[in-house]
Amino acid sequence: MTTKLRSGFWRQSLLIAGLFAIALLALNFLIFDTGIVAVVLLSGFYQGMLFFLVAAGMSIVFGLLDVLNLAQGSFFMLGAYVGFAIYNALPEGTPITVRFVAALVGAVVFGGVLGAGVEIALLRPLYVRPIFQIVLTFGLATAITELVRGIYGPSGLVPVEPPAALNTTIAVMRGQFETYRLFIIAVGLVLMIGISLLLQRTRLGIIIRAGVQDSQMVEALGINVRRVFTLVFALGTAVAALGGMTAAPFLGAYPAMGEQFLLTAIIVIVIGGMSSFEGTAIAALLVGLTRATVEQISLQYLNTPILASISILVFMVVVLLVRPTGLFGREA
Amino acid sequence: MTTSLLAKRSGGRLALLLALALLLIPYLHALATGQPETGSAGLAALHSRAESVYCAKGSTPTGTILLVETLLIAVATLLARGWKTHGNPLQEGLARHGPYLFVFLLLTTIPFLLAWRTGSSACTRGKAFFWESVFIDVFILAILAISYNLLFGFAGIVSFGHAAFFGMGAYTVGLLMKHLAFPWVAAVIVALLVGVVIALIKGVVGLRIRGLYFALFTLAFAEVFFLLAGNRILVDITGAEDGFTFAVPDFLNMTKNRLFFYYLTLVLMALAFWLVRRLMGSPTGQVLRALRDNEERARMLGYNTFTFKLIALVLAGILATGAGVLRGIALKGASPNVLGVGFTFDPLLATIIGGIGTFSGPVLGVFILRLVEQMLRDTVLTLGSVQIDIGERWALILGVIFIIIVLAFPKGIVGTLQEQYRRRKGG
Repeated sequence: MTTKLRSGFWRQSLLIAGLFAIALLALNFLIFDTGIVAVVLLSGFYQGMLFFLVAAGMSIVFGLLDVLNLAQGSFFMLGAYVGFAIYNALPEGTPITVRFVAALVGAVVFGGVLGAGVEIALLRPLYVRPIFQIVLTFGLATAITELVRGIYGPSGLVPVEPPAALNTTIAVMRGQFETYRLFIIAVGLVLMIGISLLLQRTRLGIIIRAGVQDSQMVEALGINVRRVFTLVFALGTAVAALGGMTAAPFLGAYPAMGEQFLLTAIIVIVIGGMSSFEGTAIAALLVGLTRATVEQISLQYLNTPILASISILVFMVVVLLVRPTGLFGREA
Repeated sequence: MTTSLLAKRSGGRLALLLALALLLIPYLHALATGQPETGSAGLAALHSRAESVYCAKGSTPTGTILLVETLLIAVATLLARGWKTHGNPLQEGLARHGPYLFVFLLLTTIPFLLAWRTGSSACTRGKAFFWESVFIDVFILAILAISYNLLFGFAGIVSFGHAAFFGMGAYTVGLLMKHLAFPWVAAVIVALLVGVVIALIKGVVGLRIRGLYFALFTLAFAEVFFLLAGNRILVDITGAEDGFTFAVPDFLNMTKNRLFFYYLTLVLMALAFWLVRRLMGSPTGQVLRALRDNEERARMLGYNTFTFKLIALVLAGILATGAGVLRGIALKGASPNVLGVGFTFDPLLATIIGGIGTFSGPVLGVFILRLVEQMLRDTVLTLGSVQIDIGERWALILGVIFIIIVLAFPKGIVGTLQEQYRRRKGG
């Protein structure tokens, strides 16, 4: 981190991101009451965390393997569905908290195992033909979405009930805010810190970071890079699946959710700079805040949230024009 | 050298002229033998006279003539390929272009073959009529796949937002004719211009960023249009999720003049095919190929790679938008799904199944995909206790086929066959 801070490029990027965040805040205080500002900020953080959960895996996997996993959104959706299945399958009388935790754990395990399977069976044969890997994950996303649609129908499931403590609202300044959103923010923060500790402080993290720089060199140093690839891919999909189940009590589960979150996640990693983990985390929060702000603006003045999705696309286009490799991307 | 080149060129033209002349014969025959009408004259009368011949139920003389011509071309092509060449331009032209002429003629025969086999008429409701609409859909999608292949297969530009062109074609032409009462020619021209503008925006903003960023950029770009088309804020104009319908002139009305629409889409598909073939044979095409194989090298040789990529993008954009325009007119309406991921996935899948970077691959891919889907639509497969309704699970099956092909046959059908042919020829 310290060496990075010293580099001019990095500091400049941080400055741009910081200025943008301050501008957003100022805009918020200018047009909304303080109560609404608090709600918008929290909503921005909560959305940002969900985007982060989907995008984190994509970004690390891309950095290490040069594979853009377009099926990541599908893992997010699968996490929600698997969580639902576990939640409802537990015998009657099981306390809600147990059901909820079991669903979260189940989603993570399922996401990880399936991700490892996909990497070993489908992606490994294609490392010689990189463009086909992306094309393949694109097809995989379609197949998974259709499979879920076939099993559960197109309409989706009603959100499950989270534990009571997470199912109330608290007063934030003068607005009301669901505690469950705070839970999502907490989960996101824990993972953000956890993954960054994993990357910075562990041996595996060193290997991953070295692999992002030059995976052939890491292999030459006698490390089984293939196994690390599988592990990282599985980690990414597990985090996405966890994100899906975390979002499920709020959003429910429906086949199109994967595609929706994939698109935002793509925007996030493009803004953050494709292979930078810190960039992805910062970009996720910025995108969440932008979305929440514009959502509130268009709700107040246009009575529809249409502008929110478009605003982040404009955000992406502007970033690409200023920095063709994203805010924190490797200088290509 | 010059003479043989000249011969090759004029040979292609001779062969094309031959095919066009052959195509006129059935219509002239129909005109000559149709039931004479009393009292009326002019083109309309002539036309309805011909109609009474080729619209008859079951076998028609028109169909017979077309079939004989198709078989003649097949035999002539085989002969032209078998014999040693003596610099005869027609023979060389046939040997080179014969297979394409054969497929084209076969496709012109299909409505009548269908009418003959099913005992229905090619112009009024019935089995042949229904299958014509399936083929129209195939031709339109084939144009889209040809366009996708131009970008992905030849220029090496991966786009995940091709649906933006397709959908905007359908939307623009429909909205202009519905709300602003544009005549169809003007609406089509404006729609194509919109396609060019989208391509230019994508190109100028997107092509400066490299490979993968561009693919993601196009995916997000298409999503904007999808969101806008489905949003309630524009419900009075676009009809939001339900889409909208509009009126088209009678001769472009697929329900009234289906046979005409069939030939229109067939000819346009052939044109798109020919255009891409000509382009890839030209110096510009060579540069595009060089770009795909090694962009750095092409740049080092002094080519402005950005300009060439932009050319490919604009041409592919025009073709895809044109396909969308046809789709809009065929369905006399548009709904947000023409802008959805499906219309990016379908041409991508067709291109990969048929063979990336081959001329006939994408077209073949679309034919296989759509015709197999149509045939299996009502089939229910029973595996032990599990019943699979193929029509309902088609998208899932496609996804699985797609994955298998990407893994096992990355060159697609045409690519794999070409490779085997070359290997056998090489000994």
